[in-house]
Amino acid sequence: MSHVKLPEAPTQQLLVHGSTLLGFAQACKNLSIVAGSRASSLINAIDLHQLYPFERLRELERLVIESYIDSAPILERVGQEMMLLWYHEGPGKAFVRDGADFLTFQSGSQGYASVVHGPKELVGSFDLLSLDRERGKALVKSTTPFQKDLERGVLLGGISAPKDLDYIDVDNSADPQLFHVTFH
Amino acid sequence: MTLDEWLALPDAPEQVELSPSDMRRLFWKYRGLLKTREREHAYWSATNDNLFRAYEKLDHQEQQLAEAFSRLEEELAVAKQIQSALMPSGLDELAPQLELAVWHQQLNAVGGDYFDFFAPTHADAQLLCAVCDISGHGVSAALVMAYLKALFTQSLPHSDEPRAVTEWLNQVALPFLKQAKKYATINFVRIREQELDYVCGGGFGLLIHGQECTSFNRKDHFIGLRDRPFSQHTLPFVAGDLLALYTDGIIEAQNSDGQDYSLARLERTLLAHATLPLDQILERCKADYHSFRSHDVDDITLVLLRRRQR
Repeated sequence: MSHVKLPEAPTQQLLVHGSTLLGFAQACKNLSIVAGSRASSLINAIDLHQLYPFERLRELERLVIESYIDSAPILERVGQEMMLLWYHEGPGKAFVRDGADFLTFQSGSQGYASVVHGPKELVGSFDLLSLDRERGKALVKSTTPFQKDLERGVLLGGISAPKDLDYIDVDNSADPQLFHVTFH
Repeated sequence: MTLDEWLALPDAPEQVELSPSDMRRLFWKYRGLLKTREREHAYWSATNDNLFRAYEKLDHQEQQLAEAFSRLEEELAVAKQIQSALMPSGLDELAPQLELAVWHQQLNAVGGDYFDFFAPTHADAQLLCAVCDISGHGVSAALVMAYLKALFTQSLPHSDEPRAVTEWLNQVALPFLKQAKKYATINFVRIREQELDYVCGGGFGLLIHGQECTSFNRKDHFIGLRDRPFSQHTLPFVAGDLLALYTDGIIEAQNSDGQDYSLARLERTLLAHATLPLDQILERCKADYHSFRSHDVDDITLVLLRRRQR
């Protein structure tokens, strides 16, 4: 079984936007993590414009974690795929022109705040702490209930989607909540 | 030459001069490729591990399935053996005045067509014969068949009157059959000196006397559906007469165009060969059936009885 763990923060009062759930489910389908009728029923059961209990997303995360011995690279890839879908097939291009823009978009947790609703202390934040475009460095802090490998993938996917950068790295190995971003 | 132009070349030139900023980009491009390869490697390793585990699981499940299938086959073989033992044997000794022949073929290892012969309990009767078709196929139908056989065996010492036997059997079996969601057609016939008495609840019977055919009155209900009386009918049955009792397995079989074999076709075949020895009549019926039907869809039973010439 996977060594990856889910955050233990309570999520009962949280709601997640259907688009996030659908992005996760569609990413799982695209990556063949789920297939066939199971994938179709997973996707068909989600309304893009509805809010759902956060536990629904937790179930999807669990589906991935329980399926893989090492699920960290898989969750990372799911996060990347979600953001590629958001950029190429969703509204992403309206918010982000280049890779660094995606980081700016996280200022004040504005990107995250649109997809998770609930009591502030439980929602947490996904915040850009610093950004140095010249040196290609940024620091993002996350206190969200999302799984952190998935969030690392979200950052990688969001920054790489506009395809203007030659190098991207996101490292949260020292502190899972602190994402050190390097980009050139 | 810019870095992008240089990278677009089909081959690396002997010498190239890149600007410091392009050199810097080249550095990060190279590092980026390494990083991507590192991530790809981690992703595909995890995927391969998962695939390996899935194959192991599949192997294990395949083995479990094979074991379960083997157990099932063994159990079915035993069930088939038991059902064969429940079918009548030693037909020739049962009624010397009669010729008997049976075509009985099951769709699965065990089936729901049931035929039986019983020695009569009253002096003026020569033979009792039952042909039943239990709804469904396979093991569930076979279990009901065994139950019906037990009831016949239990009832016959008390009476061999077809109506009395059938009504008692229906009454006793009704609660069980309803619970099991099963029912059965029945033909129960008592052969006497010059006549036969029958009860027919959804079964099929045909009496051929010379060129004249008489079909059994099929208006009575099936066993296991309702507690109502059955009607008993009597027909003459003299030397040379041929009686055919059968289930719907033959007549409802279809050809590749979706047409039924039909009652009329079976009756025509029986009538055309009615004077042949019984085993030859059966062979003709089988040959005609096999030339027509695209595949079997049900259990098949065809019982032939003929009164011997004195």
